[in-house]
Amino acid sequence: MMTKTGDQESPQASASQVDQPSVQRAPPPETPAALQTRFRVIAAFWAVIIFLGFPIWWKTTSIYRASLPIEEMVDWADGKACRPVFPLEIHLATPSMQYFEAQNLLRTTQHTLDDLNEFAAHHLRLKLTNGSTTAVNSDDSLENAQTPAEETADTALTVQLLPRDGLASPWSELHAAATQLDIFYPPSQVPVPSSSNSPLSTFIAAELQRLYGEEKATIAHILSGNTAGLDSTSPQLAEDIDRRLRRSMKYAETYHLSFSLFTPKSEPSSWDIEAAALSPISNFTVDTQVQLYANFAPTAPKPEYDESEAAWTLKKEDLSAFVNAAEWPLNPSIGNGPTINFILYVPDPSQSPLIVKENRASSWMVPQWGGVFLLNPPLSNTEQGGLSNPSHLSQDSLGPAFMTFSHQLLTLLGTPSTPASLPLRLQTSIRIRAATLLLSASSTMGSLARLTESLPSIPIPATVATSVSTTLSHLAASCAHLREGRFGAALASARVAETEAERSFFEKSMVGQVYFPDEHKVAVYLPLLGPIGVPLVVGLLKELKRIAARRKAKGAAS
Amino acid sequence: MTVLSLFTLPFVALILTLWSSSAFASSDYHEHLLLQPLPQSSLLASFNFRSNTSQQSFDQQHFRYLPRALGQILQHAHTKELHLRFTTGRWDAESWGPRPWNGSKEGGTGVELWAWIDAPSDEEAFAKWITLTQSLSGLFCASLNFVDSTRTTRPVVSFEPSGGHSAADQLHLLHGTLPGEVVCTENLTPFLKLLPCKGKAGISSLFDGHKLFDAAWQSMSVDIQPVCSADGECVVQIEQTVDMVLDIDRSKRSRSNPIPRPVPNEQLVCDTSKPYNSDDTCYPLEKTNDKSWSLTEVFGRSINGVCPLTDFDGSSDQSVCLRVPHERGVFISDGADEIKKEDGFTRCFKLAPSVSFDLTIPQQPVNTEVPLDEPVLHAERTIVGHGQERGGMRIIFGNPSNTSAVDFIYFESLPWFLRPYIHTLRATITGHDGVLREVPAYEIVKETYYRPAIDRERGTQLELALSVPAASTVTLTYDFEKAILRYTEYPPDANRGFNVAPAVIRIVDPAHNAPIYIRSTSLLLQLPTPDFSMPYNVIILTSTVIALAFGTIFNILVRRVVSLDEAAALGAQTLKGRILGKLVAIRDRLRGKGTKVD
Repeated sequence: MMTKTGDQESPQASASQVDQPSVQRAPPPETPAALQTRFRVIAAFWAVIIFLGFPIWWKTTSIYRASLPIEEMVDWADGKACRPVFPLEIHLATPSMQYFEAQNLLRTTQHTLDDLNEFAAHHLRLKLTNGSTTAVNSDDSLENAQTPAEETADTALTVQLLPRDGLASPWSELHAAATQLDIFYPPSQVPVPSSSNSPLSTFIAAELQRLYGEEKATIAHILSGNTAGLDSTSPQLAEDIDRRLRRSMKYAETYHLSFSLFTPKSEPSSWDIEAAALSPISNFTVDTQVQLYANFAPTAPKPEYDESEAAWTLKKEDLSAFVNAAEWPLNPSIGNGPTINFILYVPDPSQSPLIVKENRASSWMVPQWGGVFLLNPPLSNTEQGGLSNPSHLSQDSLGPAFMTFSHQLLTLLGTPSTPASLPLRLQTSIRIRAATLLLSASSTMGSLARLTESLPSIPIPATVATSVSTTLSHLAASCAHLREGRFGAALASARVAETEAERSFFEKSMVGQVYFPDEHKVAVYLPLLGPIGVPLVVGLLKELKRIAARRKAKGAAS
Repeated sequence: MTVLSLFTLPFVALILTLWSSSAFASSDYHEHLLLQPLPQSSLLASFNFRSNTSQQSFDQQHFRYLPRALGQILQHAHTKELHLRFTTGRWDAESWGPRPWNGSKEGGTGVELWAWIDAPSDEEAFAKWITLTQSLSGLFCASLNFVDSTRTTRPVVSFEPSGGHSAADQLHLLHGTLPGEVVCTENLTPFLKLLPCKGKAGISSLFDGHKLFDAAWQSMSVDIQPVCSADGECVVQIEQTVDMVLDIDRSKRSRSNPIPRPVPNEQLVCDTSKPYNSDDTCYPLEKTNDKSWSLTEVFGRSINGVCPLTDFDGSSDQSVCLRVPHERGVFISDGADEIKKEDGFTRCFKLAPSVSFDLTIPQQPVNTEVPLDEPVLHAERTIVGHGQERGGMRIIFGNPSNTSAVDFIYFESLPWFLRPYIHTLRATITGHDGVLREVPAYEIVKETYYRPAIDRERGTQLELALSVPAASTVTLTYDFEKAILRYTEYPPDANRGFNVAPAVIRIVDPAHNAPIYIRSTSLLLQLPTPDFSMPYNVIILTSTVIALAFGTIFNILVRRVVSLDEAAALGAQTLKGRILGKLVAIRDRLRGKGTKVD
């Protein structure tokens, strides 16, 4: 054996001695201890890099992102977290009926109502009052709305049943200033306990259904996301509701009304605005201004003269370009609340009278912005022979304009047109606003969730997380209030939720840009990373190669 | 605020109430333009627009002459009196004499703003001041939002409210300057929008941004103040002025061909008494003829009628006045009337409505000149010294009067990075005899109000009450130290220097009712500026050092130590060794070939 190996080695040795000078000889193979040490050194360096360097680098360069309840937010946006319901509590006061009669009437009427109702989220709940005839007047309901921490549900309506002789069929009367509906009925129509239906209960149900028809359609429209409302809603009503919702201003605590007189020449330069002005209105701030030499925008279409009308006309489709936003000083007012602009435009004498071509109207509304009124005052002859506008607009000439403006204001505020009773309309508004705010805050939450997921590089400060949790808790509270019929409280919660949601969405520090791009940092640190990285990587590769070779050798040996 | 009451309101309140009202009796509007040729072929055009609104209308936000945007800003910021100035250029007091409006309608170079704000405490006043500057910044397209606490001062004696204020108001005066702001057309457009006639009729139709900001000196101002009559009725007055000194030759150049051409040789008037006077050397003499000019040439347009809101009572319908000697011929367009005033130098023009007005002055030999008053005080302020660490400020006051001393307040607001040493304040005085003498500062300085700076929070405020004796020149000097800023505090153009706001001088002259204001020019302060690539150099250098150290240590730890001959044997197996071996083989083959040929 020994000689064999010697034989095998000797040709190699002799060959090397032939090729190279004899001074060169291969070093002895490295001791396992040295190999071990080298392996340990390289492993130690890499361990430091992986377990210390990378975490520190990661920690110091990562962006702070507070954790958000993304799923919950998306649930709210998708409407999964809350199905807003509007149970309206209606008190049935039957002072002149027996208890069981009243009970029976209540039961049958509720039954009829439920049959009629096709929109489950908005339903009427009848309840008997103990015969007390005190109607909740509008002042009380105001206070009710203001105290959110009320435990009982708001009473939406009190139906007062009054027997009256000599009536063929029941008839109703709605109080204009109170949430009370008086129903007069012939005493003969009191339902007998056995019957499941009666003309009186059908009548009551139909009356109630009529009263709340528009509100129901509106809420259905809002909740369904502006597509299809209720099936039974007439297309006319649906369109009305849609238009009104599109036109009305966003909800705010206070509005600013700005009345402006614009004229392309120098006259008229004054108006009896102080006399014509609105009496002091709380929650509205009013300002007025006079602007002379207000020209149309150069790109806006010019009015055309219409022979048949003997007037200058503006085309309906050109009305959107009428307000010269670039030059007319119509900037929103400072302070809280959005500005509603009303423009009284007195045309140039050479273009007077000016009307809208299609419908000969002299006024129109700009949705969510304000209204315009074209005033064509009687012209007078000047000394130079031309025509001129009066230099002063009297109160009388302003009358029609301000009637139009007040009508436009109501439309812009989005007040519904039915029912006739003012307190009922106010209550309707509360419910509609609550629903709108609830939806808007929910969809803001959804947008925020999508935003944070789609942009992984934006920071999320802790304040946003707090705002989000406040929003979610108030949304839940609002939803719970709605379910229990406390609409005032629901609106209060929804307002807080909306404010917080907006605050979190428009948080300034979230849009902060990364000052140094990654390429920049790499370029700066390359002098460090290059010379350090190359020996480390080469060392690692060599070691891996050696280990692989040894494995192979071992495998071959075994 | 309640939700329900909001909805109640439209139904009950939108009722037209009937009062008979005469609320506009107290609102009126005036505009006035004064043109005055100045020496060195300059022309001073001084525009003034003034309107009043009754306090009641103002409180109820019924805006007619007062612009709505500005009125609402004032109400929102509880500002009772506001003064805003946009100025460019330098008023050459030695040639042009005293300043228009006694300097009360001009500001220091850039933007200057001061206001009296009604607030219960200093902190609230400052919060409202910030609101005010932010809003005005948006309205006038100026960088007023950069007026922060370091640029805000509260002068004690330099300014006094000019309006009538009720005693109940707790007024706080705040003053801010932006000496580096470049005033340009984007500030003129909103300024014009504030005027009732919007630059479309009346004298405001002369404004053209190209001409206005090409002027040698121009100043735009907005002043709003309450004015109360003796019987206690108050109006809110807004006064807007534009003053500019145009170079007639420069303005007359057509815009299509604006390159100045040299005067042809034969038209030059040379001083032949000079010894070097020859065919190709000329010392030009002052012109004996006055320049010819017209409004259309100088302003590029003519006056478009009158603004019809102007009150036509008394003399205010003469809205354009010209100060030239009466014997000077002036041509005016048809429809306008010329009224000569008794002082022999002023004539005013009554313009026809809706007819454009032009005014032409032909070239004429000068016989009499409009006399220019001597300014009450000459003032000059410069930074002296050298080096990046320290410097000095030198302020020279000259009193030209031979009889009376001048008392005035000198107000300086210095940025925090300029740290003055007030103990080094020295005064020298040059009297009638021309001898320079050093005097103790307290002989000149009567009172001092000094509020030292806090780094990055507020600037230095220095107010001195001074008195300069008759026919003397007083020079004040003090030393300062330049602070070193943080790396990120330097602006992009750090090597240009940092603007130091002009000093304001208020002369309390018993002869004049209103104080005279003089402003020095703004200064440029050179601060030690770092090499901005420094951080990168430092990073790269340290990286290299660390890499070197690391490489050495790592190599020592990892490399195998062998003897020299062993290394050669090992080397044959490495990539380098193999390449070397190949090279040797090729060399050997070449040599072998060579030997064959031989």
